Amino acid sequence: MKDKLGISVGIGITALAIVTILFYIMNAGNLELNEILPLLIVLILIVSTIYILWDRIKNIKKGLPAQDERLKITNYKACYYGFIASIWSAVGAPLISGIFFDYELSGHHVTAAVVLFGGITFMISYIYLAWKGY
Amino acid sequence: MKTRIKELRARYDLTQEDLARKVGVRRETILFIEKGKYNPSLKLAYDIAKALNATIEELFIFDEG
Repeated sequence: MKDKLGISVGIGITALAIVTILFYIMNAGNLELNEILPLLIVLILIVSTIYILWDRIKNIKKGLPAQDERLKITNYKACYYGFIASIWSAVGAPLISGIFFDYELSGHHVTAAVVLFGGITFMISYIYLAWKGY
Repeated sequence: MKTRIKELRARYDLTQEDLARKVGVRRETILFIEKGKYNPSLKLAYDIAKALNATIEELFIFDEG
């Protein structure tokens, strides 16, 4: 029951994210490179979420748990890596932007970088660790 | 750490999925335990041993080196 509720909430949030992205793309007009890049990261996050949800639904259909002790440990580890990535992106994003592009990032750009890099690191670590075994 | 899970599974004609269902974990978890890529919790090790009518010592061979 708890697993099914989690999956239902996950599907709802993913659907809302997809609708939001579609509205943004339809109303954005011509997108520039600095707008396409964060959009790509969000799309990667959505695709990864769909994969994780599909994997859980597949297990539930077979009568197996959606998440077990190994995946919980995987989840904790991926959270840790995502947290580290968030901290370093808060430091690194303004530095890299200043050094390589001679452009000073505003506060909300740095916040976006922290959220996106943290999220993408979490997803990549989670999928990699879930596949690799530890 | 080496395990004899695969050997005992074969004795009882159980697939990884059957064993996973018996002990309440995902199939991949059984796969990774068999490959030595995941060390199960004491509870899971006990549940697997019980499902295969063996003791934990019979199932898991600890390499002390």
